[in-house]
Amino acid sequence: MNEYEQLEAELRSLKPLPPGEAFSSKLEKALGSAGNLAVRRLPDAEDSSADFLPSVPPESNPLPFTRLFFYTGCVGAGLAAVWALFFYLSNGLIAPSYVTEAEQPLFTDHFAAQVDLPVDDPESPVHGVTLGQLQDTSPMPVMGWSDPQNRERFLRLVDEGIFQRPSGVPARRVRHYYMDETLWSHPASDMRILSTSPREEVIFIELDTY
Amino acid sequence: MKHNNMNTEPIWKSWFARHGAKLLLFARQQSRRPDEAEDLLQEAFVRIWRLYGHTGEVAPGLVYRAIRRLAIDWARSIDRRQARENRVALDNPLSLSFDRTLEQDERKQALLRAVDRLPHAQKEVVTLKIWGELTFDEISQTLDESLNTVASRYRYALQKLRDFVPEEMSDKTSASTVEE
Repeated sequence: MNEYEQLEAELRSLKPLPPGEAFSSKLEKALGSAGNLAVRRLPDAEDSSADFLPSVPPESNPLPFTRLFFYTGCVGAGLAAVWALFFYLSNGLIAPSYVTEAEQPLFTDHFAAQVDLPVDDPESPVHGVTLGQLQDTSPMPVMGWSDPQNRERFLRLVDEGIFQRPSGVPARRVRHYYMDETLWSHPASDMRILSTSPREEVIFIELDTY
Repeated sequence: MKHNNMNTEPIWKSWFARHGAKLLLFARQQSRRPDEAEDLLQEAFVRIWRLYGHTGEVAPGLVYRAIRRLAIDWARSIDRRQARENRVALDNPLSLSFDRTLEQDERKQALLRAVDRLPHAQKEVVTLKIWGELTFDEISQTLDESLNTVASRYRYALQKLRDFVPEEMSDKTSASTVEE
């Protein structure tokens, strides 16, 4: 180490005084809402210990599975409607020449005899199917789902530059892309269902004109 | 739908904890008085953070540059720029911006006194290079000077410091001898 390097090292060893707490508070006030545009998530005890792990014992909250089965029920109902339509059309297009007018009432009677009247169960997410029926027929468990875990994942940021707002004030447009994730878990069967949905946030930052 | 408790902190706080002391030192050097330095830093930081803070990471060079330009604007507005540059070392010695416990260390005190004796332009470069941790390229952009000029000023500054420090040490020793 030559004498200049030594001099530099000595200078670097001197540390300037940091700004006081009062100054930081003043700065926070001066920044206002601009100070909260970018935030970082701090680790906390609850999150670190229970990141996507069930925090509520099973059977404590019956609501999540209801919501889950509402969505799966909707999908099932949609599939059933498509199947019924296909069945109806295929019978209408292929079979009409084989069905005589005399046979029609018999067919209608037979079909009507097989269809049960819809049962309205307020606990069931699917109309016309009771919770018990759903539990019997569904391959998924109905009870024992924990509270869903929600997580917001920041993907990227796109600065779309400066543009003129209708008011005439220029602003910078920034678009944030997120992925919202919801995880349902069933501890007893170790079943997990992850639902993801993309989300965008557009932020306008007003610019000073001076 | 239940949401987890989100404990968040604005990013500017951690950013400022990392760079605040260095920026304040530069602001003190650019301003006439320590109290004005805080205003200068606040104004420069708020302007830059409003423009680029949403990105979460702002290059410190932008704030250094804003500090310098604002300092010049403020000095021009009261038509005292020349006076500022001449008086800055007298009114606002660099040693005031460092830990007071340094008074115990004679060598370090002499080092700071030697830095204060440097011409303003050289002291600017030394401050940005040593404590601001900027590259010569970033310093040249901050000061609107060429890369060669900045590098030369730094080299001259180190040469002068090498000569000034022993002088400051011996001056202090002789002064204390006279006092006795």
